[in-house]
Amino acid sequence: ACSAGTTSPGESENGGDTTTEVEANADTLVMKAAFNQPESHPQYIVLDELGDKLFEATDGAYDIEVFPNETLGAQRETIELMQAGTLEMAYVGGPLLENFNPDFVVFNLPFVFDSQDHQRQVTNDPEIVEDLYSSLEDQSIKVLGAFHGGIRSVYNTEKPINTPEDLAGMKIRVIESDTNIEMLSLMGGTGTPMGQGEVYTAMQSGLLEGGENNELIYYNLKQHEVAPYYSYTRHLMFPDYLIINPSVWEGMTPEHQEVFEGLLAEAIEHEAELWEEQVSEAKEAAEAEGAQFNEVDVEAFTEVIAPLTEEKIDNEVTQTIYDQVRAAAS
Amino acid sequence: MDPAALAALILVAGIAIFLVIGAPISIAVGLSSLTALFVILGVENGVLTSAQQIFRGINSFPLLAIPFFVLAGVIMNNGGIALRLINAAKVMVGRTPGSLAQTNVAANALFGAVSGSGVAAAAAIGSTMGPIQAKEGYNRGFAAATNIASAPAGMLIPPSNLMIVYSLVSGASIAALFVAGYVPGLLWAAACMIIVFLYARKRPELKMTERISFTEGAKTILVAVPALLLIVVVIGGILRGIFTPTEASNIAVIYSLVLSAIYKSIKVRDLPRILMDAARTTSVVMFLIGVSSIMGFVMSFAQIPAMVSEAMFTISENPVVLLVLIAAVLLVVGLFMDPTPAVLIFTPIFLPIVAAFGIHPVHFGIMMVFALSVGTITPPVGPILFVGAKVAGLGIEDVVRRLMPFFVALVALLVMVIFTPALSMWLPTTLQLVTP
Amino acid sequence: MTAAKNALDRVLTWVCVTLFAVLVIDVAWQVFARQVLNQPSGWSEELAKYLFIWLGLFGAALVFGERGHIAVDVAVRKLPRGVQTVLMVIVQLAILTFAVLALIWGGLSVVDLAWAQNLTGLPVNVGPLYLALPISGVLIAFYTVYHLVRILTGAERPVEAAEPDVL
Ligand code: NA
Ligand code: NA
Repeated sequence: ACSAGTTSPGESENGGDTTTEVEANADTLVMKAAFNQPESHPQYIVLDELGDKLFEATDGAYDIEVFPNETLGAQRETIELMQAGTLEMAYVGGPLLENFNPDFVVFNLPFVFDSQDHQRQVTNDPEIVEDLYSSLEDQSIKVLGAFHGGIRSVYNTEKPINTPEDLAGMKIRVIESDTNIEMLSLMGGTGTPMGQGEVYTAMQSGLLEGGENNELIYYNLKQHEVAPYYSYTRHLMFPDYLIINPSVWEGMTPEHQEVFEGLLAEAIEHEAELWEEQVSEAKEAAEAEGAQFNEVDVEAFTEVIAPLTEEKIDNEVTQTIYDQVRAAAS
Repeated sequence: MDPAALAALILVAGIAIFLVIGAPISIAVGLSSLTALFVILGVENGVLTSAQQIFRGINSFPLLAIPFFVLAGVIMNNGGIALRLINAAKVMVGRTPGSLAQTNVAANALFGAVSGSGVAAAAAIGSTMGPIQAKEGYNRGFAAATNIASAPAGMLIPPSNLMIVYSLVSGASIAALFVAGYVPGLLWAAACMIIVFLYARKRPELKMTERISFTEGAKTILVAVPALLLIVVVIGGILRGIFTPTEASNIAVIYSLVLSAIYKSIKVRDLPRILMDAARTTSVVMFLIGVSSIMGFVMSFAQIPAMVSEAMFTISENPVVLLVLIAAVLLVVGLFMDPTPAVLIFTPIFLPIVAAFGIHPVHFGIMMVFALSVGTITPPVGPILFVGAKVAGLGIEDVVRRLMPFFVALVALLVMVIFTPALSMWLPTTLQLVTP
Repeated sequence: MTAAKNALDRVLTWVCVTLFAVLVIDVAWQVFARQVLNQPSGWSEELAKYLFIWLGLFGAALVFGERGHIAVDVAVRKLPRGVQTVLMVIVQLAILTFAVLALIWGGLSVVDLAWAQNLTGLPVNVGPLYLALPISGVLIAFYTVYHLVRILTGAERPVEAAEPDVL
């Protein structure tokens, strides 16, 4: 695969040389995939690799080119480009798909998954997700699979958080939505929407006391420099979906589809491993630079957020999925 | 011909041709980018993507600082606030040659430092200072050029949204980048002051010759205190964490409205006209930013940046040559592009190249922000140039001629920043934010 | 046609003034709700962005009506009047082409595409918000045809003497 901006198609390395060398040709369909994070991100790495392997396995019929760093637009916009056929694929965060089918909310609720493994297993289990994922196909969105996108916890500038009471009076940056504001207020603080670009200075100046995100973003955006207390509330675990334009998918031969699905399953597993590695690296690095990580009273937080979960599961579809997800836990 | 190369050719040639025949810059950029999109996407996806990108380009909360600072400037102009401020500035800067222009430079550095946006500084300060300088006998083109040239200093002096974007792509520490921007940012302002000094020295009519008595001076400053408090409210509000820089621009609007009401200098029936004046200025800039994002999309999609970097390595592998070349490329990119997409696109290409030469990512970030900031004051796509010329009511060409000495000084300073790492690295190293 | 243009100018002016006023109030509300009421708003930032886009596009259309967009016409000013007329007709046609293709056609396509797409922060779908594109496209096309006719009939100079003073 070629990665946008770093290597050109001609330079792409051929992985295993066991078979005959495949070369890019005019018939190669280079599927362009939009991504909002840097090239070092696990999701970028595995999709780039997937492209290499796909290229080999399909004798050069397909390749994938990942455009990182939001260069083709924010996630909402890249979904539109993919629907229109300008792009073939995109990675999108879980909440984005709620805009197309509100039932996707069930995977974006607090404490719905117990662990990374639990999440990966249920969000890729056809028994649970088949109807939900195929519900978007008439809107030109096919969900190929769900990747781990980190576990969000609260961090702040003042002190380690143990219970909801500790968050009292703290303004914590959340993604702009009433649900997120409500969640943070149930958790004891005040959810404050703000663009990510302004958060660092806002915490530095005291406009915000903190934010909530996974360890990678926390460290990569250097927010530990101003908000050194990272408390493991682990309240949200949004999946990230890899989506494709259905007409591209239908244009593939059944053999190619099968090859793709096999490679995708591998990629999802590999991504999970890379997450664990990168998170522990980020945590170590942040600690070396003065950040403190602490465990919280998980029960206390689970309890206060419960009303939100009940409120959001308001139909049979989401109730069924929720029950299946919880049944698969532990 | 390779579609990417053809797209690049269409962009360059199309923009040049449309500009020469006198088309609006937004149309030159928009129609060329649209044509390039037709080549790489086909017509149907081309038109859809263009429309979507225009929307995307304007769809940004931090951009809102522009209409608000423009509006605050118009209110201040109509409300007698600006005059009080300038009177006070006259007393404070005293009898230096070109003191009004010097005040403009200092105010821009300050406003840019507060807002993180050079465009907002150019709008707020320029719309206030320009007419007053004209009244005091300054050449309008020179006054506008001073305002435009000094406004980008605020993109280097922290806080800076552009530095945050760079830090996101490069992985460099924001704290280190912020601190690293102080010296180059202040040097930028100093370079502008030197040009103003050289210009004003030969024009005795610009000196503040009248001697002001102490009581008179004190009275002038006292009268201006409520107006000066605006800066305290804006800066203090940000530093104390009451609002974000974007919101601060809104507070500036509210504050100047309240002040004008107290001064009884603006009537309610004046408000629609004031809003419309600000809306006009803002819309021109927004439309341009919108169509520029079509061009940004074409460049990313066709991987034009990658073509550039490959071409560069075939030219030389000598670090000095390549650094000069990269700086030159960034200056050229700055001609055609807004700094934010340019940082997103070019950081991943250039950072590995310069890292191979042992250049620190923080140093490179400063160099990049500096070079792209120079681009904000150059045609054909220069947001600060446009805003500055627009608020001065002047054509681009009237201003560009006057900008030349500033431009030369800033490029010379850029060379210093590139080859004297200490200018960027001394402060963050001293504060132990980076390991040398 | 001039009467229609003047009427449109007035309507558009009031639309812009209203959008701008609401924008100022919205962001002021955002600060007030957070700092004074201690209840941060979940929609003010999103609303501000969309008000801003509508303001920017409608304002841009109005400025096309005034031929007030920034152009580098230093070379054109030095040319004979006949050549100026030809070039300015080409320029107006270029504006018309862009308005029709990118804003109207492209705008309608993206409206259609996003018609049912919901927005988390606001009780509005994305498609209707995109309507600003085709609407401003139609307005710009109207103004451009107006100027085209006037340039061709000699009612308007091909190159304006100077930009209107905005401040
Ligand atoms: Na700044
Ligand atoms: Na420029």
